Amino acid sequence: MKRRYLAVMGLLVIMAMVLSACGGGAPATQAPPAPAAQEAAPTEAPAAEAAAPAAESSGVVNLTFVSGGPGAGLDFTTKQVEEWNAAHPDIQVKIIAGPSSATDRYGLYLQTFQAQSSDIDVMEIDVIWPGDLAEHLVDLNEYGGAEAVADDFPAIVTNNTVDGRLVGLPFFTDGGLLYYRTDLLEKYGYSAPPATWAELEEMAAKIQEGERAEGNQDFWGFVWQGKAYEGLTCDALEWVYSSGGGTIVSPEKVITINNDAAASALDRAYSWIGKISPPGVTSFQEEESRRVWHGGNAAFMRNWPYAYSLSNGEDSAVVGKFDATSLPGAEAGMSAATLGGWQLAVSKYSKHPKEAAEFVKWLASTESQKTRAINISLIPTKKALYEDADVAAAQPFMPKLLPVFTSAVARPSTATAPRYNEVSNIFFTNVSDVLTGKQSGADAVANIELDLQDLLGFEVGAP
Amino acid sequence: MARAGGSDLAQQEQRLAYWLLAPTFIILLVIAIYPLVSVFYNSFTNAVFASTTPTEFVGLQNYQTLLSMTIKVVPPKLDEAGQPIIDEATGQIKYESAVSVLPREPMRFRQVTQFNLFGTQYVLGATDPDFIRAVWDTIIFAVATVFLELVLGMIVALIVNANFKGRGLMRAIILVPWAIPTAVSSQMWAYMLQPNRTGFFNTLFWYLGLGSGEIPFLSDPAWQLPSMIMIDVWKTTPFMALLLLAGLQLIPSDIYEAADVDGASPTRQFFQLTLPLLRGTIAVALVFRTLDALRVFDLFQIVLGQARYSMASYTYYQLIQNRQMGYSSASSVVIFVVLSIFAVAYMRSLGVKSDEH
Repeated sequence: MKRRYLAVMGLLVIMAMVLSACGGGAPATQAPPAPAAQEAAPTEAPAAEAAAPAAESSGVVNLTFVSGGPGAGLDFTTKQVEEWNAAHPDIQVKIIAGPSSATDRYGLYLQTFQAQSSDIDVMEIDVIWPGDLAEHLVDLNEYGGAEAVADDFPAIVTNNTVDGRLVGLPFFTDGGLLYYRTDLLEKYGYSAPPATWAELEEMAAKIQEGERAEGNQDFWGFVWQGKAYEGLTCDALEWVYSSGGGTIVSPEKVITINNDAAASALDRAYSWIGKISPPGVTSFQEEESRRVWHGGNAAFMRNWPYAYSLSNGEDSAVVGKFDATSLPGAEAGMSAATLGGWQLAVSKYSKHPKEAAEFVKWLASTESQKTRAINISLIPTKKALYEDADVAAAQPFMPKLLPVFTSAVARPSTATAPRYNEVSNIFFTNVSDVLTGKQSGADAVANIELDLQDLLGFEVGAP
Repeated sequence: MARAGGSDLAQQEQRLAYWLLAPTFIILLVIAIYPLVSVFYNSFTNAVFASTTPTEFVGLQNYQTLLSMTIKVVPPKLDEAGQPIIDEATGQIKYESAVSVLPREPMRFRQVTQFNLFGTQYVLGATDPDFIRAVWDTIIFAVATVFLELVLGMIVALIVNANFKGRGLMRAIILVPWAIPTAVSSQMWAYMLQPNRTGFFNTLFWYLGLGSGEIPFLSDPAWQLPSMIMIDVWKTTPFMALLLLAGLQLIPSDIYEAADVDGASPTRQFFQLTLPLLRGTIAVALVFRTLDALRVFDLFQIVLGQARYSMASYTYYQLIQNRQMGYSSASSVVIFVVLSIFAVAYMRSLGVKSDEH
């Protein structure tokens, strides 16, 4: 009898463990159920907190800053933070490397917010998050934010302003670029980069054929980001918008994706795979495509500006042999770049919002953005820097591409907030199905339209 | 043990036992039972994760959305004469789009899969096809990995149970895959499965003349599950071997000597002595591994992300990316039910009795 009881009890306990591990997000547990990869960040936080009370008695404020970002971003930001710490003995900032995947970082922030934890004071947030996270962020206008953003691109400031509250200072902006090999274009008799997708296809095919004939079996014409994740939304939005297919959901809250231009744009991308783009492109993120390019194995690449300085790095096979320009369109002049970029924000649960705002204003200042532009080719959000001689000398492509960044097309995150993540997921999942041959472009845009209607309840219409 | 009363000493010991167990149960109450109840409660609401949006009670709606399924006949496309149109390229009958036959009201059903039975084309629709697919994939994953791990683990256990020089070292070495954290080994395998010749497998296959050197292991739906199964088998076979080895060492050697004297072949010894005597160990190992495999999270999350889900990574995705705390709680409860079914089935069929005497 009793044994049976104990055995049943044991079974129940095992089940309970199982379930609480699965549903780890329940508010009661509080402990983040993050996979090990993400734990690097939160585990360091308590240490910072433990040090705080002792230090506070002597008037020193300790802040925690979660950074991240692809490529060399973190190393350089760390240097900047060291500089700040040396100059401000009473406000010491500790930098923590967040997960490099933006979606994982979003998860980390949400877990911290759910717990209303003061473990994170300052954080980098993606351009699509202000609407979603606004309720957990400090209104920087209370700490002189309006003056700080006076010279920033107005579009980004508007994006970061939610119900009149400025929740983030623009840190750097981003837009999709077409990288091309100047040496190969010349070798195969082209004088200028492609202005239309048709030209790109033709050039890529010819260069690929030629390079393979010369013995480089791993050479491909065009690499981009085709994995089912946020990056595919960015790439596909460029294909669709540059073909006259609209922005999925218009700023006026109309679902515009179901049109022929959008369908044929997706079909065109599918036709690249195996022809001018590797079959594996459907599992590429930014870094996977950059590695192919970095090794000198691609004629064209769609990527963000961060790849520019890395491609000029010591171990790169393409140093001095490439340039970046605006992406092609269905017709010349229809080019589109998806707006990216990151903002600096202060958590509402921070114990020192005033000091955190000071730090954020310093890190987002014109001076700081200038060194970032020169050293790691991140695109400044300050208009003055596009006339700066030092920036122009270090990154000649930046002043040239000013129009690309000022007119970049935004993802529909404001119109669909707070459900943008689901919108994007519906979009990239269906696009991914087109790329893997599971459905046609026309079926995909019809499915996206139906799904978005269910999700958002908006009207449908032409772009 | 069912004696009522018993001696004073026995009663005293019993009381002591309860006292000693009390702290454990209190801790369990706090760290396991409370979250458990809270997950059940949340699964009936539309709670949003990390938000101040007011929470409403929605009854069984989350479960309805998760689990509703339907099967519909897909009619063939007909030409003007009313005859089915045959695709000239493949010689197959063309069918209408599944979207046209699946219900739209009150909830929209989406296609999970299509299949053909006795010449009629059917479509299986669900209100949340991703979840249905996640459940199905996870079950396939669990069955395949546990079966392969049992077979391979048994072979490994029999080998390291034999007497040979360097056996101790060998036993240590086989545990290496198990000792590496899953997050690390998953990432390692993701690199090896790269879709071009920077990946180990593509290079290997290419040298062997198999494939183009550009097999997209992690993005081609046909390769995704086999890749996951391979990684998990590599990682967990040592654990299985260890459990079985412990069982093997409990079998006294004299019965084998007796079998030798009787002239039983090694194969016969294995099936008639080793296997029956290992029954209890195998049962424990299977329960352990099946429940573990059904809960798989890190492997899917790290290697496949949102390309394909396990039940747990789908729950995580709904909670963290979509912030649907109520909905993800409901899917946790469904996982709980699926696990319970497996656990009970095992206990029944393998004769793991709670009272052996």
